[in-house]
Amino acid sequence: MSEPFFAARGIAKRFGGLLAVDDVSFALGKGEVVSVIGPNGAGKTTLFNLLTGQLAPSAGEVAFNGQVINALPPERRARLGLGRTFQIAKPLVTLSALQNVMVGTFLRHPRLHDAEDRAWAVLAQVGLAHRAELRASQLTLSERRRLEVARALALEPVIILLDEVMAGLNATEIGEAIALFQRIHGAGMTFLIIEHNLKVVRAFSERVIVIDHGRKIAEGSADDILSRPEVVTAYLGSRRH
Amino acid sequence: MDALLHVLVIGVLLGGIYGLVALGLNLIFGVIRIVNFAHGELVMLGMYGAYLAYSLLGLDAYVSILVVVPALFVVGLVVYRLVLQPLHGESSMQIFATFALVIIFQNVVLAVTRGEGYSVPSRIAGHTLELGDVRVTVSRLAILAAVTLAAVGLHLFLQRTMVGKSIRAVTQDRQAARLMGINVERTFMITFGVGSALAGLAGVLLAPIYTLSPGIGGNFILAAFAVVVLGGLGSVAGAYAGGMIVGIVEAFAGYYIDPELKQAIWFLIFLAVLIVRPSGLFGQPGAEEIGFREQE
Amino acid sequence: MDATSAAYVETRAARAGGIPRVQRAAALYLGGLVLAFVPLAVLSNDAFWLTVLTYTYLFAGLAVAWNILAGFGGQFSLGHGVFFAIGAYVTATLFVDHGLSPWVSLVPSALASAIVGALIFLPTFRLKGSFFAIATLAFNEVALVLANYAESLTGGPRGIQVPFRAGFANMIFADSRGYAILMLGFMALAVGVSVVLMRTRLGYYLLAVRENEDAARAAGISVVQVKLRATALSAALTAVGGALFAMYVRTIDPPTLFSLPDVGVKFALLALIGGMGTIVGPVLGAFLIVPLESYLRALLGGSLPGLHLIILGVVMLLAALFMRRGITGVIDAALVRWRHRRRHV
Repeated sequence: MSEPFFAARGIAKRFGGLLAVDDVSFALGKGEVVSVIGPNGAGKTTLFNLLTGQLAPSAGEVAFNGQVINALPPERRARLGLGRTFQIAKPLVTLSALQNVMVGTFLRHPRLHDAEDRAWAVLAQVGLAHRAELRASQLTLSERRRLEVARALALEPVIILLDEVMAGLNATEIGEAIALFQRIHGAGMTFLIIEHNLKVVRAFSERVIVIDHGRKIAEGSADDILSRPEVVTAYLGSRRH
Repeated sequence: MDALLHVLVIGVLLGGIYGLVALGLNLIFGVIRIVNFAHGELVMLGMYGAYLAYSLLGLDAYVSILVVVPALFVVGLVVYRLVLQPLHGESSMQIFATFALVIIFQNVVLAVTRGEGYSVPSRIAGHTLELGDVRVTVSRLAILAAVTLAAVGLHLFLQRTMVGKSIRAVTQDRQAARLMGINVERTFMITFGVGSALAGLAGVLLAPIYTLSPGIGGNFILAAFAVVVLGGLGSVAGAYAGGMIVGIVEAFAGYYIDPELKQAIWFLIFLAVLIVRPSGLFGQPGAEEIGFREQE
Repeated sequence: MDATSAAYVETRAARAGGIPRVQRAAALYLGGLVLAFVPLAVLSNDAFWLTVLTYTYLFAGLAVAWNILAGFGGQFSLGHGVFFAIGAYVTATLFVDHGLSPWVSLVPSALASAIVGALIFLPTFRLKGSFFAIATLAFNEVALVLANYAESLTGGPRGIQVPFRAGFANMIFADSRGYAILMLGFMALAVGVSVVLMRTRLGYYLLAVRENEDAARAAGISVVQVKLRATALSAALTAVGGALFAMYVRTIDPPTLFSLPDVGVKFALLALIGGMGTIVGPVLGAFLIVPLESYLRALLGGSLPGLHLIILGVVMLLAALFMRRGITGVIDAALVRWRHRRRHV
């Protein structure tokens, strides 16, 4: 098998006495959609922070397109094409939605009106064009999530990491979001998503990785993993989605 | 050897002064995270309070502590409630407001005293003691004694009393403290009051040493901040030790390097500490992060 | 044409606002400039108000320069007195000792200040909020001591006296109106830099860094680089102001240059009261405070000592309490209320 598109090899993170992530390895091929599931506190967001460069690993390596990127800070990884959203949405509150996205589009389009034009396009893509001039602080939760995604898309990434981007959305909003992601996926994007919502995982994942206590305890196709009763009850409760 | 001892003594006594002024500021900056520019003016008010107690009530400087310190406590409560609490969460405006207070305090005193310099005599302050070869004035020894007592007292207050414990809780984690039912705003107000009272104490004890002038607060404020940061936020021992370090370094720098440069020397040390270990020598690492998260 | 492009063309046609085109921004800028010139045209014959206006223009420019780093970048500096002093000392020294025209010296003054700024602020960038402020304050104090000490360089406590050799090339004007126009030009420069900056990538990145450093990094922004560039720009502009100041008052010394209430902290106060983080705010703050302070001093300075400052302090305190977002905040809020009322009549 050739070099995977994006891979984590033996990634670990220790905080003092706590081993938050323990020897996690996986690989993504180009264009794949992989979900990471697990109970709260399992270390999923820490894993993401290791992949994006927010945190430095205590062991292991992260490889992107064959290149080991451990030494690269988050901004360099973003420039290489790694986009991410944050679990607690971090819009730039005093800026308008348009300006928020422009912060992203400026990366590939250094000139003001090019960045602006691209930002309009991205906003249209996520369905926020009609709200473009509102302050980010005035947007609803669902809109802020979309803004997060927009700012990540603005970087023209080749892989996008979504951290619980569906949390707090209602069924309609979730449906719209899945439709959006499927459109983007259709254009060739690779996805790695942390998700609690089983329905979303089922609707929009090819493979699923299960993390618990910082360790990868299972990996397989979405159908396979989600049909395992112990996964469903132990980690996702008996909630019916 | 003789000179060394002499410089050391000067340094320690100076450290006492800095520590005393910084003790209150440490509490305020450490707990509420306000850059209180007006702290020097609170000390100044304490000094003039001592003078008032002397001229109106005939009280000796050291006796006037009983009057001035509670008065400054009240002043602190009022200032916090009227000026700083409404600006909670807006640190830039708070700095601005404390600066306005500096201007107001200084100039009110200037207007009232019409620029006359006062001094506060004290029966015991002027006496000198001889420790070995070194002669020390009682007033400076009193400050050293006071800062030690105050530091111990403050430490016990913070450790043993309910109010003190709530202050410590609020310093560590405001959200958690609120969830435990602690009234954070009231705790802040009391903290500010105690910090002001300590400033008043410093003022009274310094009154016999300096000639009073409305702008005298400016002499202390920067040194006090340097001590607070050096010693570590929210650490009583830190303020005490920080004061000593600053005082001793200043004395040695003044003697062995150049008197002109002594202030620069400890600012440089303070900068180095800030850059390398912002939580200070005795503070908890990461302490400087707390409080700012809520300000975002 | 795929769905994305179609949507894009549609929204482009539909949108009314977005980022103002160059023409509109330029028009606003020139209009503001003309407006700022009006007091000069009206008051140029009154010696007192001419002086006040000159200082107002100068400090407006300095507050705008400060605002670039502090308002847009979120780095609340109380150490800008250092940059102001560098500009003053470099220009004065080059003029007095080497006869170099101050117009030319502006370049080395700005450069020196930018380099020093980048060097000393770099290690402090990781400090948060108040800690950064105190660290920069410490820089000011160290610089004050060093300026007093290095007599061969700075003239020590006595400072430098610039002889009165009138002439445009010397930037020394016999007619005081020349200075007023000079300072107006400085203000125009500072505001112009601000306007242009906020239409560039650096300006947007600066705002992003101010709002959220993690989000900024995730967007591919090098936070340290952005802060360094903003510091250099802010320091360079401040130094130019310092240089002009030196040629105006023609006697500079450490107590004046490093005075916190009159210089280092004043920049912050003017910007805060006018509206930090806006282009026009610092200018408004200067136009409010500088004339007010001068007027109060002239009116009351002779009577009770300190009275004019008490009033100024009270005004500042009230402004802090009731105009949290500064003058521009008040204007913004009024505009919102007005629009709301129009829509609901």
